[in-house]
Amino acid sequence: MAKSHIDAAVARWSNRIAVLVVCGFLLLPLFAVVISSFNSANNFRFPPEGFSFRWYEEAFAGTAWAESLQFSALLALMVVPFVVVLGTLGGYAVAAGDFRGRGLLSSLFLAPMAVPGVMLGLALLYQLQTWGLVGSTTGIWLAHLVVSFPFCVRVVAVSAASIDPQLVRAARSLGASELRAFLTVTVPLLRPGIIAGAFLTTVVSLGEVATSVFVSGSNTVTVPVRIYSAAQVQIEPTIAAVSTLLLVASVLAIALIDRFFNVSRLL
Amino acid sequence: MSIALATRAPRLRRGQVAAIVPTLFMIGAFVVPLIGLAMLSLRPTNDLNTPQPGWTFEQYQQVWDTGYLRSSVLDSLWLSIRVTLTCAVVAYPVAWFLVRTSSRWARTAVFAIVLSPLLTSEVVRSFGWRVVMGGQGPVNAALQALQITDDSIPLLRSGWTVFLAIVHVLLPFAIITLTASLGAIDDALLRASANLGASRTRTFFTVVLPLSVPGLTAGLMVVFSLAMGIYVTPLLVGGATMSLAGLQIQNMAMVVFDQPGAAALSFVLLTVTLVACALIALFGSLTSRRRTRG
Repeated sequence: MAKSHIDAAVARWSNRIAVLVVCGFLLLPLFAVVISSFNSANNFRFPPEGFSFRWYEEAFAGTAWAESLQFSALLALMVVPFVVVLGTLGGYAVAAGDFRGRGLLSSLFLAPMAVPGVMLGLALLYQLQTWGLVGSTTGIWLAHLVVSFPFCVRVVAVSAASIDPQLVRAARSLGASELRAFLTVTVPLLRPGIIAGAFLTTVVSLGEVATSVFVSGSNTVTVPVRIYSAAQVQIEPTIAAVSTLLLVASVLAIALIDRFFNVSRLL
Repeated sequence: MSIALATRAPRLRRGQVAAIVPTLFMIGAFVVPLIGLAMLSLRPTNDLNTPQPGWTFEQYQQVWDTGYLRSSVLDSLWLSIRVTLTCAVVAYPVAWFLVRTSSRWARTAVFAIVLSPLLTSEVVRSFGWRVVMGGQGPVNAALQALQITDDSIPLLRSGWTVFLAIVHVLLPFAIITLTASLGAIDDALLRASANLGASRTRTFFTVVLPLSVPGLTAGLMVVFSLAMGIYVTPLLVGGATMSLAGLQIQNMAMVVFDQPGAAALSFVLLTVTLVACALIALFGSLTSRRRTRG
């Protein structure tokens, strides 16, 4: 018995150490970015020589970064309402619908997750060329809709799967039209999923890079795309400052999601 | 009268109306562009890589004949296999901890840490590895402080750093899918196995591992297919010269402006990925079938 107790303790502690190592590995690059963004010198030396906000000032003073920050925020604001409407309808249809071909539809809605971003980007670029929309805001807006739509569908579908169909049936039998029952019974019940979907769409839109690189024009450069092109030329602490801002934005969004929706159900 | 109407007009089933708009959107913004890309990959080109009318397989022929394109697909395949296996092994202890720990606080903290990279832009994480592995970065600083080396080692642009960065990008997917399937394992089975005298190792290999196969295969498929198409991380961490299919597609499309060639290479990549995923799924179902039978 004593031996098995020791065994159990050894197993528990080796598990804890493994978890700590993995967590350290996952956080290491994020911490490195945040720390180097407050460096007072123009280098990436560790430990940094001093503390300053100069790279944040520089990021906001430089027109290019400021424009990108503005554009990313604006784009997210334009993407979220549309994805939320599409994702709510789609998530409800695949999770609560009872028609034939529902499984196929669900695969279609989640398919953009399975196609490599580089391929989706190329396909959209080629399509936008034929529509004459290359480099336009509409083009990158469409790309962000496609990329974030499956995430929203998935979250809403989780919410929709737990709705009791009796409630809608009750509303219908009391004389509510199909539309009225959907808007006054189903949508309020889907609320946690819809809100989580909205924040998740924000996170995806703010961070999207693989597909955006293809469809972004000179006036439609999002923050991640600008980081992508800047980091290829020369890395400088301004990039770290902007990355930290992006990181803070997604952490805030996740914290908000968590208030409405159990985050572990997101994936 | 109203009964007659109801029986005559086939009533729409629940959810059908809701599905109309998202389906049209997906057809217009996703299916049509992909079909367009497939058609583009079958077009002949002139000297300027401009697509011409007509149909041909010469783009695919060119991918096959060009040594560095063919090997980029094979290199992507090899890298994805290594990344997938590493993620599977590393994800186990973390998923196990998330399912087993009795401390709510620890679970929330670890879960938040696992999720944080997933919801941070890929570009920020890749940039982070640039800093970590840079000439004056923390890794080099630590190595010098421990006097393992005197000069900073060029860690960037090495295959191992790119490998680590890709594992970092994809590990959360493996952990999350695995956690879901480990959580579904009944505690009673583990106690039964222990009561019957099985050691922890034996319980793991004969009870936990087989029961987690469905979640494992799902996680492996996600990690594998994402690894096959990755290009942002290798480009930022390893540089544009790495031989990977995703990078070659990006290079052909955005630098060389050979869109039909890039289209053909991306369909080759997609096909290889789907075949490999089908093999993973087959392996998964064979293992679990053998279990239930035996």
